[in-house]
Amino acid sequence: MLAAAALLAACSGGDTTSSDPAPSNAAGQPKQGGTLRIGALGRASAITRDPHGTQGNESDYLILALVYDTLTVPGADKNTVGRLAESWQASSDLKTWRFSIVKDAVFHDGAPVTAEDVVWSLRRLRSTPSGAARLPGIQAKNITADGPSTVVLTSDYPNAELPLLTRLTTFVLKKGTADDALESAPGTGPFELDWYRGGNARLIRNDRWHGGTVRLDAIEVTMFETSAAMANAVLAGQIDVASNVGAVAARTAEARKDVRVIRRPNDMSMPIVMRTADGPFADPRVREAMRLLVDRDAMVKQVLSGYGTVANDILGTGDPDYAKNIPQRSRNLDKAKALLSAAGFDLSKTYDLVTTEDIPGLAESATLFAAQAKDAGVKIQVVKQESGAFYEKTWLKGDLYTTYWGTNDSVVFFASKTMVSEAGQNEAGWSDTDFDAAYRKVLQTSDPGARSAALQDVQRIEHQRSGYLLWGMADGIDLADGKVHGLPELPGYGRVQLENVWLD
Amino acid sequence: MRTADEPTAEPRLPAPEASRRARWSATSAGAAIRDVARLLIVRVSLLVTLLAIVFAAVELLPGDAATATAERGESAAGLAARRHLLGLDQPLWTRFATWMTALPSGNLGVSARGRPVTEVLADPFPNTLVLALSALVLTVLASLALGCWAAARPGGLTDRVIGHLATSAFALPEYIVAIALVLPLALWTGLLPAVTVTDATGAPGSWTMLVMPVLALTIPQTGWNTRIVRGALADQAALPHVEAAGLDGLPAHVVVLRHALPGAVPTIAAGIATSAGMLFGGAVVVETLFNYPGVGTLLAGAVSDRDTPLVAGVAVCAGAAITIVLLASDVIRDVVVGGRR
Repeated sequence: MLAAAALLAACSGGDTTSSDPAPSNAAGQPKQGGTLRIGALGRASAITRDPHGTQGNESDYLILALVYDTLTVPGADKNTVGRLAESWQASSDLKTWRFSIVKDAVFHDGAPVTAEDVVWSLRRLRSTPSGAARLPGIQAKNITADGPSTVVLTSDYPNAELPLLTRLTTFVLKKGTADDALESAPGTGPFELDWYRGGNARLIRNDRWHGGTVRLDAIEVTMFETSAAMANAVLAGQIDVASNVGAVAARTAEARKDVRVIRRPNDMSMPIVMRTADGPFADPRVREAMRLLVDRDAMVKQVLSGYGTVANDILGTGDPDYAKNIPQRSRNLDKAKALLSAAGFDLSKTYDLVTTEDIPGLAESATLFAAQAKDAGVKIQVVKQESGAFYEKTWLKGDLYTTYWGTNDSVVFFASKTMVSEAGQNEAGWSDTDFDAAYRKVLQTSDPGARSAALQDVQRIEHQRSGYLLWGMADGIDLADGKVHGLPELPGYGRVQLENVWLD
Repeated sequence: MRTADEPTAEPRLPAPEASRRARWSATSAGAAIRDVARLLIVRVSLLVTLLAIVFAAVELLPGDAATATAERGESAAGLAARRHLLGLDQPLWTRFATWMTALPSGNLGVSARGRPVTEVLADPFPNTLVLALSALVLTVLASLALGCWAAARPGGLTDRVIGHLATSAFALPEYIVAIALVLPLALWTGLLPAVTVTDATGAPGSWTMLVMPVLALTIPQTGWNTRIVRGALADQAALPHVEAAGLDGLPAHVVVLRHALPGAVPTIAAGIATSAGMLFGGAVVVETLFNYPGVGTLLAGAVSDRDTPLVAGVAVCAGAAITIVLLASDVIRDVVVGGRR
């Protein structure tokens, strides 16, 4: 997490390119030119062209993120780095945040970017049905311009993490862009739209991009319904990169010398949720026992084909301030059994673990966990639900179910979204006074030492008694032809940062 | 493989009967038009019933388009706003009526993602038509050729081999055929593109991208139709005029093509018509496997999005295409049967 003092001192000034070229990609001197053909997952039925709409397709999000800039983007050393905002500063009460827009930023048609454009775009985002979830605590009227290049966001409550909210969907368009002109509206991003058709697109280099030199002449994005088809396409040489293609494809490609497997750690979490509010897992000793009976190494090896890492029941593993000093929990069946018996857990019953096939490996994780639980005498039956049924009947309500999250580089993000008592997506129905207090302290404290201590408290309590069992983290996996360099190695949406890519 | 309404014997017409038919030809043309009109009405009402079932079925699935297209954890107010935008706050009957009344003007409503359904279908539907029709034509040619070849020497080696192959081919699911094609033809040898990549026109970048999807659809359907052709020809072979032609010493291919085949056409046409429906069904699988941008992939996604207008839009287009094939088959049968009556 960024230290608040650093934030106050206008952090990340000038650092507008977000991902440094990864060392493994730095093969020789970057070359100019060439067209990158990249595949990304998406469904024809879910195509969304509105930058502020709900992006169901990775392919659409990739295209939008290349054409339009957000205020900030995910980074490597800091989880939030500047993009269209070059720096930001908070008031002492951490409610009012001032973002400075990059000086020489222009739209693809040459018009300069003004604070008015940014304000209009953020207000438009805020007024969508998901607006309240995307910019929580920031009312539309509290998004204002101060002069030509400063945007002021005022939160209803102190929020040291506010810049984090501006990373993924704050795409900036020209003020007053009509809804029917969205599909061809100029952006400020590293690439301009050449054409878009049925989920596929061609983008050409923006020579005036404010963020640095772009080397590719063009990017062609092809939408794929399935990972399997996308993997075939990269193996057959029809595309150069298969973005976020998954572990199964990686296993197939390991045998091929000409195709590189790129692993982006901490990409996807698939925790098991145990309801804390009531039911059989309400006793913290039972939850502790569940966390002790899981064989984490076996889960990573079998469920993720080894493309992942063991986790320690704290969500937000990619956070630079993730508490690595908290001892790793490992399998201890004796202790688990002792805790279960102390808590009076009924071992004669069979407990349902509800799961879906929404993402690869999720249902498999449930099945393997159920098998492991048997070693401690806990009988678990896996129940598969179709996605729609799951969200209607089980999510936020069930006693025991699997969930998944695709953005894992902020501990505070999970605390605010899923764990603080009043969180809208409190998946385990958790309410813990100490945790809430520690979380609020993080948001309200600007002193870096005190804040860091509070953040440690948040993670310690979460590790101890939250409703989550986080056994491991799946890597994000891309397949790339050997000639492609400078690909992003960040997890989650960091995968769309293709501005440093070059071909030899 | 014989259909119920097919005449079992076809006596040669005596001369006076033929002249009577000529006099009544104007009346029988009117009757034919009435027949087609009646068939059309039946088919269209079937389509309307199908659409009502589509609306009801999507409604019965858990969740709705608002939750399916929302971001996870969207507030109740956000969901309510979304429901209102999508018209989901209206009763099902009202939504169906609104959608049906707009249909004759070519308006298929708005998808759950806020795009006009006609626009969503504009590229995928023609792509699927090209795929399915190519497969249909190939199926007709291949199954006629194989069926006739097998029938030329009943019980011979060729007949037995074709018979077994046809049965196995029909038993193969499309995805097995697809995998069996893609490994040798694309991944190992690079002869054909493994997947379809479209260009700025929304159509496949090269015709070679169609080869494997068409074959994956054609092979199982050819198996099915070869059996039908062979069966229909066997039925014909037992008829007196065909037997007589054989006994007259005419070559086997002449007997099959000139004497047996014409009588087998109604049965064959009915078999091909059934295939039209199965080709559209198979397209869902094949398009996904080859990343072919058609309505098959669209339909799968639309169902999981609870996107009723889009599901219904796909149903209308596919239903219309299948209806036309079925009608054509009915007309062919009427003409052939009528011409020989």
